[in-house]
Amino acid sequence: MSDQFTQQLSAYLDGELAAPARARLDAHLSGCAECPALLADLRAIVAAAPHYPGRAPERDLWQGIEARLEGAVVVPIARNSPRAAQPSGRRFGWTQLIAASLVMTAVGGGAAWLALRHAPQPPGLVALPPAEVKTVAFADARYDAAVRDLEQVLAAGRGKLDTATVRTVEESLRKIDTAIAEARAAIQRDPSNAYLSRQIAANMRRKLNLLRVAANAIAART
Amino acid sequence: MTEADSDHADVALAAAGDHDAFERLYRRHVARVTSLARWMLDAGEADDAVQEVFIRVWQKLHTFAGQSAFGTWLHRVAVNLFLRRRQALGLARKRHTADEEPLLSIAGPVDRPDLRVAIERAVDLLPRGAREVFVLHDMEGYKHEEIAQMLEVDAGTSRSQLHRARLLLRQQLAT
Repeated sequence: MSDQFTQQLSAYLDGELAAPARARLDAHLSGCAECPALLADLRAIVAAAPHYPGRAPERDLWQGIEARLEGAVVVPIARNSPRAAQPSGRRFGWTQLIAASLVMTAVGGGAAWLALRHAPQPPGLVALPPAEVKTVAFADARYDAAVRDLEQVLAAGRGKLDTATVRTVEESLRKIDTAIAEARAAIQRDPSNAYLSRQIAANMRRKLNLLRVAANAIAART
Repeated sequence: MTEADSDHADVALAAAGDHDAFERLYRRHVARVTSLARWMLDAGEADDAVQEVFIRVWQKLHTFAGQSAFGTWLHRVAVNLFLRRRQALGLARKRHTADEEPLLSIAGPVDRPDLRVAIERAVDLLPRGAREVFVLHDMEGYKHEEIAQMLEVDAGTSRSQLHRARLLLRQQLAT
């Protein structure tokens, strides 16, 4: 064993040694009684290290996390803007999508599209200007168009996702659609019911987010 | 269904607001994130930091494009958050100046069936500077140049700390 070579073993293992130094170390390894064993041990440590099992926290943190989830909903913030023009060749309407994915707060018979603040953008999304608040009807054409676009993406790309994911997404969409339909029917009978308005808005947002995640997953595999 | 498939399905559900799906993601990944927090922060900070990671991930789920494994993405979010906490706590630099105790003679070998568990426990015993570089490089897959930037050291320091960490681990695992 030689300190000179021992100090180079990590660099050797990580492929960071220049060719001449690597050749010298290879020559040393072939004749050294100890360095090959040390190298084998280091290699075993490096191979095992990424697979550490982890140790659970001493107390369950989930309840504290869950209690903060509803207050932590953040979605991409945007408004319609010429700056949000799409690069050519994009398959679906990101501008519409982003605009439609704003948090909706129910206000009477409509919904307020509340733009909160900048949020990190998914890769490939255009940078967007500061937020603003817009009031639109539930049957807002931008929302409908965004959902339609994403549904087309999902229909065209479902083969790129594993079947379990497709099944989960489709079942969830059916449940959300049912919830929206039931709440809409109920609000016809009670138009001033703010709770129902919030439910509709929340489920519309869930549907859009779910479609967007599925579309992202398809795009990542394209 | 593999863990990756389960993660993928649960990410889709959680992004749509499903708390149960997010709890499943939490349960599958909390142990590793907690270990990471304990290695990068003071022990008393870990639980709070882990909670913050999962809240942050919930907020950012819609940006996860599935180009990497969810666990990889989660750990990147966690490391970034822990580094910001370290900066806020003033932990960043001092850890790399306080652990220059001499490296003891090397022992070996480390051939053992529970090597992954043993490494995790041995990492706890490493000097802080060596531990952080080992965790970031060998456990989390960052490059020396990235680590240098993250820990505000030069890449040569990162390399020497890594080698030192590996030798110390070998020593600890052989005893």
